[in-house]
Amino acid sequence: MANVSVAAEWQLLINRYYRKPEIYQMRWKHIDLSRNKIACAPFGGPIAVIRDDSKIVQLYSESALRKLRIFNSAGVLLSETVWKHPGGRLIGMSWTEDQTLICIVQDGTIYRYNIHGECLDPNYSMGKECFEQNVIECVFWANGVVCLTEAGKLFCVMDFKEIKSFKLGDVGIEAEEELPHCMAVIDPQYIASGNVRVLLGIGEGIVIVDEDEVTHIEGEKVQGPVQKISVTRDGNWLACFMHDGRLVVMNMNFEALFQYQCESALPPEQMVWCAMDSVLLYWDDMLLLVGPSSEDSVRYIYDEPVFLIAECDGVRILSNTSMEFLQMVPDSTVSIFKIGSTSPASLLFDALDHFDRRSAKADENLRLIKSALPEAVEACIDAAGHEFDASRQQTLLRAASYGQAFSSNFERERIQEMSKTLRVLNAVRNPEIGIPLSIQQYKTLTAPVLIARLINAHQHLLSLRISEYLGMNQEVVIMHWACAKITASSAFQDAALLEILLDKLRLCKGISYAAVAAHADKSGRRKLAAMLVEHEPRSSKQVPLLLSIGEEDTALMKAIESGDTDLVYLVLFHIWQKRPALEFFGTIQARPLARDMFITYARCYKHEFLKDFFLSTGQLQEVAFLLWKESWERGRNPMASKGSPLHGPRIKLIEKSHNLFAETKENTFESKAAEEHAKLLRIQHELEVATKQAIFVDSSISDTIRTCIVLGNDKFASKVKTEFKVSEKRWYWLKVFALATVRNWDALEKFSREKRPPVGYRPFVEACIEADEKGEALKYIPKLADPGERAEAYARVGMAKEAADAASQAKDGELLGRLRMSFAQNTAASSLFDTLRDRLSFQGVP
Amino acid sequence: MAKVSQIPNLDNSPLNLRSLREQSQRELVNILKNVRGKKCLVIDPKLSGSLSLIIQTSVLMEYGVELRHLSADPLETDISKIVYLVRSQFELMKFISSQVHNDISKGLQREYHVYFVPRREVVCEKVLEEEKVHHLMTIGEYPLYMVPFDEDVISFELDCVNKEFQVDGDTSSLWHIAKAIHKLESFSGLIPNVRAKGRCSVRVADILTRMQTEEPVNSHDMGIPEINTVILLDREVDMVTPMCSQLTYEGLIDEFFHINNGSVELDASILGAQQQEGKKMKHPLNSSDKLFKETRDLNFEVVVQVLRQKATSMKEDYAEMTSTNQSVSELKDFVKKLNSLPEMTRHINLAQHLTTFTSKQSFLARLNMEHTIVEAESYDICFEHIEELIHKQEPLISVLRLLILFSVTNSGLPKKHFDYLRRELLHSYGFEHIATLNNLEKAGLLRKQESKSNWLTIKRALQLVVEDTDTANPNDISYVFSGYAPLSIRLVHHAIRSGWRPMEEILRLLPGPHSETKRSALKIALLCYFGNLCLPCFRVADGRRSLVLVVFIGGVTFAEIAALRFLSAQEGMAYDVMVATTKMISGNSLTESYVEKLG
Repeated sequence: MANVSVAAEWQLLINRYYRKPEIYQMRWKHIDLSRNKIACAPFGGPIAVIRDDSKIVQLYSESALRKLRIFNSAGVLLSETVWKHPGGRLIGMSWTEDQTLICIVQDGTIYRYNIHGECLDPNYSMGKECFEQNVIECVFWANGVVCLTEAGKLFCVMDFKEIKSFKLGDVGIEAEEELPHCMAVIDPQYIASGNVRVLLGIGEGIVIVDEDEVTHIEGEKVQGPVQKISVTRDGNWLACFMHDGRLVVMNMNFEALFQYQCESALPPEQMVWCAMDSVLLYWDDMLLLVGPSSEDSVRYIYDEPVFLIAECDGVRILSNTSMEFLQMVPDSTVSIFKIGSTSPASLLFDALDHFDRRSAKADENLRLIKSALPEAVEACIDAAGHEFDASRQQTLLRAASYGQAFSSNFERERIQEMSKTLRVLNAVRNPEIGIPLSIQQYKTLTAPVLIARLINAHQHLLSLRISEYLGMNQEVVIMHWACAKITASSAFQDAALLEILLDKLRLCKGISYAAVAAHADKSGRRKLAAMLVEHEPRSSKQVPLLLSIGEEDTALMKAIESGDTDLVYLVLFHIWQKRPALEFFGTIQARPLARDMFITYARCYKHEFLKDFFLSTGQLQEVAFLLWKESWERGRNPMASKGSPLHGPRIKLIEKSHNLFAETKENTFESKAAEEHAKLLRIQHELEVATKQAIFVDSSISDTIRTCIVLGNDKFASKVKTEFKVSEKRWYWLKVFALATVRNWDALEKFSREKRPPVGYRPFVEACIEADEKGEALKYIPKLADPGERAEAYARVGMAKEAADAASQAKDGELLGRLRMSFAQNTAASSLFDTLRDRLSFQGVP
Repeated sequence: MAKVSQIPNLDNSPLNLRSLREQSQRELVNILKNVRGKKCLVIDPKLSGSLSLIIQTSVLMEYGVELRHLSADPLETDISKIVYLVRSQFELMKFISSQVHNDISKGLQREYHVYFVPRREVVCEKVLEEEKVHHLMTIGEYPLYMVPFDEDVISFELDCVNKEFQVDGDTSSLWHIAKAIHKLESFSGLIPNVRAKGRCSVRVADILTRMQTEEPVNSHDMGIPEINTVILLDREVDMVTPMCSQLTYEGLIDEFFHINNGSVELDASILGAQQQEGKKMKHPLNSSDKLFKETRDLNFEVVVQVLRQKATSMKEDYAEMTSTNQSVSELKDFVKKLNSLPEMTRHINLAQHLTTFTSKQSFLARLNMEHTIVEAESYDICFEHIEELIHKQEPLISVLRLLILFSVTNSGLPKKHFDYLRRELLHSYGFEHIATLNNLEKAGLLRKQESKSNWLTIKRALQLVVEDTDTANPNDISYVFSGYAPLSIRLVHHAIRSGWRPMEEILRLLPGPHSETKRSALKIALLCYFGNLCLPCFRVADGRRSLVLVVFIGGVTFAEIAALRFLSAQEGMAYDVMVATTKMISGNSLTESYVEKLG
């Protein structure tokens, strides 16, 4: 039976099954792992291979120059390059999370390669001490490395995205004999402090090195010497291989959990954790799988060298000819395929077999499963996910779908979802792509990261299809494609390339043309950049880029079109800095919005520069305003004019302003005003000297006259009046109110008799009423010419009868009504108004 | 006693302004959370008014905030983390720089965060750079583009849009307005009809279209847009209305006591509070106050009557209560009514206080003069009146307000009068006002007459002056100015009813271009194409009427909003109306925005 053959490939370790299906036959030829240094990226990543220069190997028909070759996991060559770097032997080589190959040589230089075999600039160094002491060992984790030097010092790079090396705590190693036997690193993300932690097997014990702290764990506790250390991914467990062939698993407090006595006391060449459950050791031709908490083990014999790649859910075993994946058999798979299994899932799987053979036993099986059907379906789906073999995936999913037909309460999307995931997985597992992800690895890695890796490997079409299939944004893919296309198409004409690019960029709405253009610019294709940026709809992205490719004028135009003044300023400041003043003035003068924004800013911050601008563009009146304004600032800031006669400099400024205004015909009014202002300041200055009171400067002409009259200085008041040709009307209002302010009623009366007032007696009446002098007011009310005005005035001083008389004389009904309102409390008065109004309406006046 | 909060209740809003406000709250809280521990929040004083309509101060305190207002003075606090929350304006940058310099000179090491409202701007950062403090700052944004003032009023809180545009040529605000509307669309769906009148409005409509192509409003999950039409109107188009004294209850309160951020500050004694004699007290004015909601838009003459009626009926109820035996439910009703008593007392006091101002002879004379100017048939009387006001040195703002009204209705003044009045102004109020006059001239508000005025034509065509206005039972919007129908609202009315086309001739007589755009998100276009939906009769699913958003660029007065509400309540009106404005203004505040002293 088919079921039996599946389980026959499993090995039992205590109570768990392990399997190691072959994923690929390696496509490469003549690669012998034993001659080479190997670096394999986890999550089915690429393999870097280079001849090991620490070994003596026989050269066949090949160049003496070493080649660095990069393969995918199926052994398809991705790229190769000749290794010509100085700096001694290659000590460490590893892939980072974003699939950059890090190579560290003896003198501590770090070279970086991308997956296309291109050496990335710049190179970094682990520092002077490393250079002098020589690196002898490197231990990597996902994004960092710790290097050990001959002098026993440790150096660390925490993050390859931002390479900065620093020295770790000093272990105090003096002689070569004291150098550690082995070394392991715990990924900083699992350490509370966020710093890296290094474990060294030294002497009989273990030494823990943190950034600036060194802790010794004594030999009695560890029972070393420790020959090899391996740490679980989460940094919780240690596997230590001791000098006497014991494998000891401990927790982080170095308390042994269990130990296993190996046959060989020779330390294994490689030792890795298989997920979190077991440890895999490799000696020359043997793999030994040791499970925790027991003394059982499984061994596999190999007649060729292998290389172990730890994954989150197992170990990939790379040999010269094949790639295998060692993992614990998932529970769902066990329940279906275990020999003699009668689990519902197994029955369901079997039922499908019967059904296919048109056997009635299918029904019998289903009846046996009964209520456990949903869980059986679930198990089949889950097991399908864990399979690498497409036909078995299919069979399992068919079993699930068969079971689902009989089960009402099951989320139907599960099968669909799993099929979707498997399609993606199968696509990337294709040997040409060569990414053998297990479903768990895929889930840990996430789809966006997978797509990023595919893009990085220039598998644009596949990543586009996958992101489309999964309903993800395709922008990243298209963007990367466009940039890669530009880099790769140096032979294309700009216009032709633009067409090719636009064709694809249009696929994705809202894609940033500016970003592609920026890349084109960086690749030295400024013209293409300019053509691309033209297509960018977002001005906020377009304008800065135009500036960076030197298209300032277009940038200014686009900024103005956008209506976003912030962008206008951005361009403005840019041009301002770059161009000589006169050219800058010319540029902005032609564009009103830019000009106005410049003026607004300059008004606050660049006064002198603004003056230059106005002068150079012939706007003299604006300069005049600026000078006039300055004159006030001088006035407010007495420090500025210390020593000199107080208002001299101010007046000079105003006169300058007067002259500038006079240059243009349109500004005669302003010119005259400035002239008068200068004159006023002089007179006020004189007044202050004469009266010894500093109360005149900066008051208006009218106020100056008032102040003079209030001070009783009629002569000065008249002088100001004639100097500034103050009209009689205004003069009367000013003088009347000034006299009322000082309550000089005699003078007021005298003034009223001087001649017939040009504005009538209203000012006198109003001034008296406002001063609350009814008696004085009554002197002038009868003299009011207009009866309506007279009526209102009487009303205001509370004389209803007189008001009524005047109002009836004015024949104004509306006025009467209003007066009635204001006398509402006074019954006698209001009836008076009513009678009057009635009489008026009889006469037909509204 | 149910105290009316300054933060308006937005539950009855035709748009989901509540979630808009909640978003702003969240964003602010996130900013505060980002800066750990105790912090000193230094707010630009203008902003703090807006914030008081968004979030309660007590909430800020919960996040370890000590509040300060930004000024030129050094910052006195023991807290080492300083968070500035400022609008993007240069002078504020100077304040910040001087505070930082002060700290440095004292050897204080502090952590500075600057959050710009609504977004960071190159020019502000440039100032910080020039002041050499930029590198000390962590810079962020608080995207507060608009503040809901009431159920049907949103403000963008932009102070001097008109002055900046007309005088300085600065169009920053226009981008801001477009952004705000675009943001609103992201809540309510793409607005299919855009009608604009005036230079700013047409530009905003343009920018709005650009924004839609740059960052399309995602219309998939929206369905039918809630707002059917947006009408954009420049203040410049109608400078007459704001210069007239508002005669509605709310309008008058604003004219005399200034309503700031939805509340008025008065002597406690006026509001009928016994304690704290002589102290100022804030009284919120929004539609959460039911009595105010009922009276705010009425002509003030009527308000007094309404209040009197209510008081009388209450008195009668009370008399009944004490004399006869009442059932429990009747008692309950009465107690309910009693609850509104404090509110009523407050409004009666407020109205009474207002009356002392409205009955002044000077006020009546002013109304009379405004009317004469708007009638535009007695030039000389108006001229002499204004001349006299200047000679008497009446407050400059009120003189200018009348003068603007005069100049605008006459399309400027004859050169002789223009120069004469300007000279008299400078002589009376000081030469420093040359800058103010220059601003007004640039803005076209006080200028030389170059052609014959077309005000009479406009007035006649749009029936702006209405005889026999019944303020108690109005049948026309002219009730808000006792006989003058606001030009702006007449335009809006036409735009809502029939679009611009039938009235293009009149529009041409008014300043600035006009435009009308139809936009559609793909989905609607498709629906229409398949005939499932016909465009003109949008109705939001739950039976609410669809909305017209009226945007006033350069500000709107309370009286105009009253007129709009009146319109929207009319029979035969198919839409609810929502008002968005750059700022709530009155004639005084609008005039003040042009005042610039050289000294």
